[in-house]
Amino acid sequence: MKQPWRQPIRSWVLIGAVIGNFVGIFVLAGAGAFVARAADPIKIGFGMALTGGLSANGKPALLAMQIWKDDVNKKGGLLGRSVELVYYDDQTNPATVPGIYTKLLDVDKVDLITSGYGTNLIAPLMAIAMERKLTIMGMFGLANNEKYQYPNYFQIQPAGPDPQTSTAIGFFELAAKQNPRPQTVAIVGADAEYPQNALVGARDLIKKFGFKTVYDKTYPPTTVDYTPIVRAIKATNADIVFVASYPPDSVGMLRAAQEVGLQPKIFGGGMVGLQFTSVMTSMGPMLNGIVNYDFWAPEPTMLAFPGVKEFLKEYQLRAEKAGVDPLGYYLPPYSYALVQVLGQAVEATKSLDQQKLADYIRATEFSTIVGKVKFGKNGEWAKGRTLMVQYQKVQGTGIDQFRGPGKKVVLYPEELKSGNIIYPYSAAKN
Amino acid sequence: MRRAGVPLLVGLVVVAAGIVLAVLRVNPYLYFAGCVILQYVVMATAWNILGGYAGYVNFGTPAFFAMGAYTAVFLIQSVRAPLPVLILAGGLVAALLGLGIGYLTLRLRGVFFSIATLALAVVLQTVIMNWEYVGGSRGMSVLRPSGPPFGSYVTFLFTVMVGLAVIAVLVARFIERSWIGRGLAALRDNEEAAECMGVPTLRLKLFATTVSGFLLGVAGAPFPYYVTFVEPNSAFALDYAVNALAMPMIGGTTSWVGPVIGAVLLGTAQQLATVTISSEMNLFIVGVVLVAFVVLAPEGILGLVRRLRGR
Repeated sequence: MKQPWRQPIRSWVLIGAVIGNFVGIFVLAGAGAFVARAADPIKIGFGMALTGGLSANGKPALLAMQIWKDDVNKKGGLLGRSVELVYYDDQTNPATVPGIYTKLLDVDKVDLITSGYGTNLIAPLMAIAMERKLTIMGMFGLANNEKYQYPNYFQIQPAGPDPQTSTAIGFFELAAKQNPRPQTVAIVGADAEYPQNALVGARDLIKKFGFKTVYDKTYPPTTVDYTPIVRAIKATNADIVFVASYPPDSVGMLRAAQEVGLQPKIFGGGMVGLQFTSVMTSMGPMLNGIVNYDFWAPEPTMLAFPGVKEFLKEYQLRAEKAGVDPLGYYLPPYSYALVQVLGQAVEATKSLDQQKLADYIRATEFSTIVGKVKFGKNGEWAKGRTLMVQYQKVQGTGIDQFRGPGKKVVLYPEELKSGNIIYPYSAAKN
Repeated sequence: MRRAGVPLLVGLVVVAAGIVLAVLRVNPYLYFAGCVILQYVVMATAWNILGGYAGYVNFGTPAFFAMGAYTAVFLIQSVRAPLPVLILAGGLVAALLGLGIGYLTLRLRGVFFSIATLALAVVLQTVIMNWEYVGGSRGMSVLRPSGPPFGSYVTFLFTVMVGLAVIAVLVARFIERSWIGRGLAALRDNEEAAECMGVPTLRLKLFATTVSGFLLGVAGAPFPYYVTFVEPNSAFALDYAVNALAMPMIGGTTSWVGPVIGAVLLGTAQQLATVTISSEMNLFIVGVVLVAFVVLAPEGILGLVRRLRGR
């Protein structure tokens, strides 16, 4: 039988052709960059989770940045040049990040970069930024810079210099102030990155405030049925129940608590997900009484920051069309603030020089739509500002009730307080 | 003698070309994208040794790949071992895993073997998620060593990957052309008949799972230094299983060239899709191309070429 393929020489020719094809495609891809340079706008590049696990937050974050871009361009751009966002979908997969950012820097020739959303997507960017001495703005990363101590990294989530205790501190401070003072604590969390960190912080604070731990356990992130966990907690009769969880388990814990009738004196703490519009509208009155961390709430104290009302109006208008989180109260104001900081730094230094920008950002207090922002140790906010909010008087599952104040009352910190805690937890349920 | 020397020479030329490319310091994006594509060349070639030659479809590719990656993470954490050690150790651990899996699943054939390998990936991922030392489920940042050759670490990784790809392809070619390859082919076509004819099927299968595992581990070992952040979800990503299977299928599973063609074509297409159209298109492209090939050209591009030439 004739087997031409067995003749080695022809196979090498084919391989050569394939390799040639591959090189050719890259040359073409590279050539695109030269065409794009003609218009000469200031380009800001980033990868963003538009698909995958974090896309529910990645898309609103992108929308907020686009609103900023439009706002800036309306005012004539930066340094007299218009601003353009160049972004790719990182698929919530850290392995795509190195490729995306090299493409941004070397092919698209972006002038500035920001990170994508979330700790895991910021982590692979650190090495690239350090190698090229870039200034990076991080979006909601937890302690990304602990290991690197890279001076040109700045992070917009208001966790503060001690991210481990930032979630829990308001919760336990509030608990300690209540009358009658709660005595016993149950802490529980998922066996995953953020919950573990939050639990470590919680344990420190329990010691500091002199509470007594009666339950301290973790559960695997794949847990589906939370009833046994909640029953075990109920059996301890703890006054305080602190939960550190990711969105699916936050919902699961809350439903189980409702079912089992768990009624501690104060309940919540570090539950990720309750801040999201989709979760709020699906949980409805089940949220009443929960005291949980948050970064933003439509309360008068938060709406006082200049520009935020206009931003939210524009965001909510566009969100409907874009089909993303319709309220945008968790991440969008901060992702807008992130590019605001970068833009203000460019304007003030009149430069795109990475080092100059970093020096300026490090030294300056910025005025943004989320308030005054000053960066400190490791590029985190110099002073943490994680809020503690309590869900109050939530009725039904309508979305409109969450647009205005009164449903998510800010209890902590003192300077942003917008109402009083309903204590104990059971009182808020009725 | 001359016949054996030619591929070796070609291999050396490819490695030299890789080094020249690194020294030239062309657009750095080329090295990043090239690294991923070459990683796929190694993976597809490794998969094909078991899947193509022996006909045992392995869905557990991510398990072997991640074993390589996590062995590297462990060694970086504990002794900051240099890259060659990481690659060798990653390969050996994955080879052991392959040998173990070979032993455990010897009685399983066809779809049952595939399911067992898939289960392996799930089990290992759970183990890693609960192993705090290598980052657990939260993942771990890895610092690259300073002062790499060629000025940038990724450029260096690129040349290393060129070398690994060449080695993988040479190994595959050697297996295919030797009595081992013929034995594996016999085993693929009819295991009982091969056994009756005196083909040592047991030893051959173990050999194939071990070598395939070794090369998959080798592909995974540089991963921590490429991404600088390793977490279980991306190291055990299903994409690796799909790609490692789709690439040889598209290229052609019967020859060592098939996986290379498949990996280069599909890998390039995916890299371009990520930064041009939308990364959602990534797996979509793989899916569509795979379905098209399975239906229209079940023997891959090689089969297609062969058929066209035969006419």
